[in-house]
Amino acid sequence: MPDPTPPLPPAGPDEVALLIDDRPVVVRKGTTVLRAAEAAGLLIPHYCYHPGLSIAGNCRMCLIEIDKVPKLQIGCATAATQGMVVRTATPRVKTAREGIMEFLLINHPLDCPICDQAGECRLQQYEAAYGAGTSRFTDEKVHWPKRYDIGRSVVFDAERCIKCTRCIRFCDEISKSRELALFQRGDHAIIGTFPGKPLDNPYSGNTVDVCPVGALTWKPFRFKARVWFLRDVPSACAGCARGCNVNLGTYRNRVHRMTPRANLEVNRYWMCDAGRQSYAALTEQPRFERPLARPATDASEPIPWDEAVERAAALLREAVAAGADGVAAIVSARLSLEDLHVTQRALQAIGIGRVAVAPHEEGQDDHLLLRRDKTPNARGAALVGLGAPNAGRVKEILEDVSSGRVRGLLVVGEDPIGDGLIPASDLRRLPALVAIDWWKSPTVEAAGVALPACGYGEWEGTLVNFEGRAQRCRAALKPQGETEPVWRILAALARPFGFGAEYASASAVFDEAAAGIPALAGMSYRSLGTGGAKLKGA
Amino acid sequence: MAYDKLLTRNLGKPNSATLDAYQASGGYQGLRRVFKEFTPEKFVEEVKASGLRGRGGAGFPAGVKWGFLPKGLEVPRYLCVNADESEPGTFKDRLLIEQDPHLVLEGIIASAWAIGCHTAFFYIRGEFHKGARIFQKAIEEAYAKGLLGRNILGSGFDLDLIVYRGAGAYICGEETALLESLEGKRGLPRIKPPFPAVVGLYGCPTIINNVETLANVTLIAERGAAWFAAIGRPKNTGPKLFCVSGHVARPGVYEAPLGIPMKELIEMAGGMMRPDRPLKAVVPGGSSMKILPAAKCDVLMDFDSLAAAGTSLGSAGMFVMDSGTCMVDALWNVCRFYAHESCGQCTPCREGTGWFVKILKRLERGDGVPDDVELLDNVASRVEGNTICPFGEAVAWPVQSYVKEFRDEFQEHVTRRGCPLAAAAAR
Repeated sequence: MPDPTPPLPPAGPDEVALLIDDRPVVVRKGTTVLRAAEAAGLLIPHYCYHPGLSIAGNCRMCLIEIDKVPKLQIGCATAATQGMVVRTATPRVKTAREGIMEFLLINHPLDCPICDQAGECRLQQYEAAYGAGTSRFTDEKVHWPKRYDIGRSVVFDAERCIKCTRCIRFCDEISKSRELALFQRGDHAIIGTFPGKPLDNPYSGNTVDVCPVGALTWKPFRFKARVWFLRDVPSACAGCARGCNVNLGTYRNRVHRMTPRANLEVNRYWMCDAGRQSYAALTEQPRFERPLARPATDASEPIPWDEAVERAAALLREAVAAGADGVAAIVSARLSLEDLHVTQRALQAIGIGRVAVAPHEEGQDDHLLLRRDKTPNARGAALVGLGAPNAGRVKEILEDVSSGRVRGLLVVGEDPIGDGLIPASDLRRLPALVAIDWWKSPTVEAAGVALPACGYGEWEGTLVNFEGRAQRCRAALKPQGETEPVWRILAALARPFGFGAEYASASAVFDEAAAGIPALAGMSYRSLGTGGAKLKGA
Repeated sequence: MAYDKLLTRNLGKPNSATLDAYQASGGYQGLRRVFKEFTPEKFVEEVKASGLRGRGGAGFPAGVKWGFLPKGLEVPRYLCVNADESEPGTFKDRLLIEQDPHLVLEGIIASAWAIGCHTAFFYIRGEFHKGARIFQKAIEEAYAKGLLGRNILGSGFDLDLIVYRGAGAYICGEETALLESLEGKRGLPRIKPPFPAVVGLYGCPTIINNVETLANVTLIAERGAAWFAAIGRPKNTGPKLFCVSGHVARPGVYEAPLGIPMKELIEMAGGMMRPDRPLKAVVPGGSSMKILPAAKCDVLMDFDSLAAAGTSLGSAGMFVMDSGTCMVDALWNVCRFYAHESCGQCTPCREGTGWFVKILKRLERGDGVPDDVELLDNVASRVEGNTICPFGEAVAWPVQSYVKEFRDEFQEHVTRRGCPLAAAAAR
């Protein structure tokens, strides 16, 4: 006989106490058995259940036994009740799960060797844990199209699909774009799009994330890397002011995919397609790996760092000497808080008083995540004293450049030429143009001295999203060539002007910034963790 | 025993589907009596007292079901008539709808009044073109005569009745799939609980009753619970329509009190079709119920007797098979139906139904292997009880029972590499 049942712990008025595999658990009323088990540290296996979606109850993998209930029940849809006794590993439950695994696999192609999902596939995981290991199915499987372009960036393999309907529910409930539905019946049921309505919503990549098997794959990631080689580096997306929490999947110093990391305060379980592909810019846009200097007429050529910093400092010194009014800086709100903090201090040291932070806006805020503000750190820029992004101020500076009133310009992470704000010839005429950026932009090419910075994924630092949440971006890659983080470049550039501070790391910069900015008081780099922290008063 | 037909009393009379003919034979007197002599609550009690059990298949007491409606909620209540008759071997509701729609309509009005419903839906199977037309006409007649609409028969009770035609899916006869379909969605069964009586159509409390059940409500309205309860057997009261098909001389719908011996019903249907072929087996309640071999056919046709015999009255769609029937072939046929009609929502039913068909096809064609018979039974046991709706049982029960009762015949298909009956017929 089993051990005497342990006593139930006391439950509050809004709570229920129950036993799951003899473990006492107390949960809020209305909690499902599956969630209660989670709270007790027990996994009830499941396919169709997803914490961000409605309950479908169709996979039947979470069948569990409840004392005094004759039939097995699904844990995902059964509410825990006071005194309930749940068993998740009885012979009956095990047989049922084994049956479900067999059913799910009879018409599954078992093409794991060529499947991108292999290694993170629920079918593989659960077959190993709960399956019989063999199948009794010897007949012809149901055949369906493989490699079907169901949308712009998503490929559908109907044979691998287990019809859990997570993708359908995502499009119905989260993106609210409703492209997907289940068509046909029985073992010929198939996920499909409505005629003339491909899966092209701005969040389509999430259907790939929620797909527990290899049925939906993300086109840019197909056949790029086996997932067990990928190292997931927790970070935040820099694509807009939301700052969705993400994992950078890296292998051999290259990001192969970006996937959302759950943060209920920021992006829940989701991210947009634009953000998901934002890592690609690092390899798709031309990099420059060593500092560049442009002799009087020629194209720019690489020079050593020390010499480049000296030359840049000399250019700025001359311009400042000719009158402080004639020098300005345009700074990007895509930089980290650390970059912006050091930039602010360095500009003071150099003697550049005229600064504009460039805005980048596109589209509208939508119902889910996308923000009109495409700069990930506008609040950070304001926080360190550089001011909020201001298109008018950028325009004034550039007008003064064109008219010759401004003779020296420091551009940090911005590309006014590429953005169409000023003709290249006007900037090339400038006696002192120093550009700092991670890619070889038209502005970089026009600069007297251009200093190469780390790109997204290479630098380490903090972004403050539009809601005032400071979040850490972690370096996932080794910096390419001789690129350096912006804060280090600015500190070096300002040193000849008497700037004395030295920082060992972004963390040290953050701690200095936090000490001086009331909204960051008490925060440390470490305390931000992987979920970030809200600013004081935000 | 002399038995006056009640449910089929108007069938075969001229213009039986018209309001005039129905009223001429005393129609809508029951409704008038109910309005006069009862309160809604008392009529619910009356139906409970009659012992009327649902005629759709599960045999759940109708009055008790009505009693599950939550009290005091400020939301509409709906009555949905399940006229999606699609269980193979079942064709009784169709007969009532086409030939005596007012008998059903009267029961609908009385039931809606009893449960406080002001909008009722008549969900009719897509293929029933004729039935839908006739029922629509009956509704229009009823509106014209003040039997539907505002202040019905001066009672102060309002009721609208809407005919909604399904698109011909078996699963939409399952009550929650019916609700989904009625809401304009794909007919997929819902997870229960919540039950429809609490959260049903458009999220409101909803009662779903079968056509024949509601026709019986008319009888109770006319003559009372005590009279009704005297028909049939204890706990299995009232008249019943039996659909007899298969190898009988005169297949058709036969009315008899619940509890009539099965053999008597077969005699009513003219006995076996071919005198040289004796009875082999009977499925008493539509294709989803367990099969009874001839030796177990001395049973009474009611809910409890058939349950005791290990099967169920179901929809009373009784198919009779003679000695020329191959059980593997018959089960293959049944499983093809279920594989075609499985909604595809949940795993065991979606995958299991198709698998049964593949195994049975092999057995019948002579490609079976010895393990197949056991496999059928075992796969069925993994479908049964593990699905969202009772469809799982509807396919598992025939598979399990055919295999259990006729295991030797299944084995013979393996050892002889094919169907012995087909081989014999070919000789």
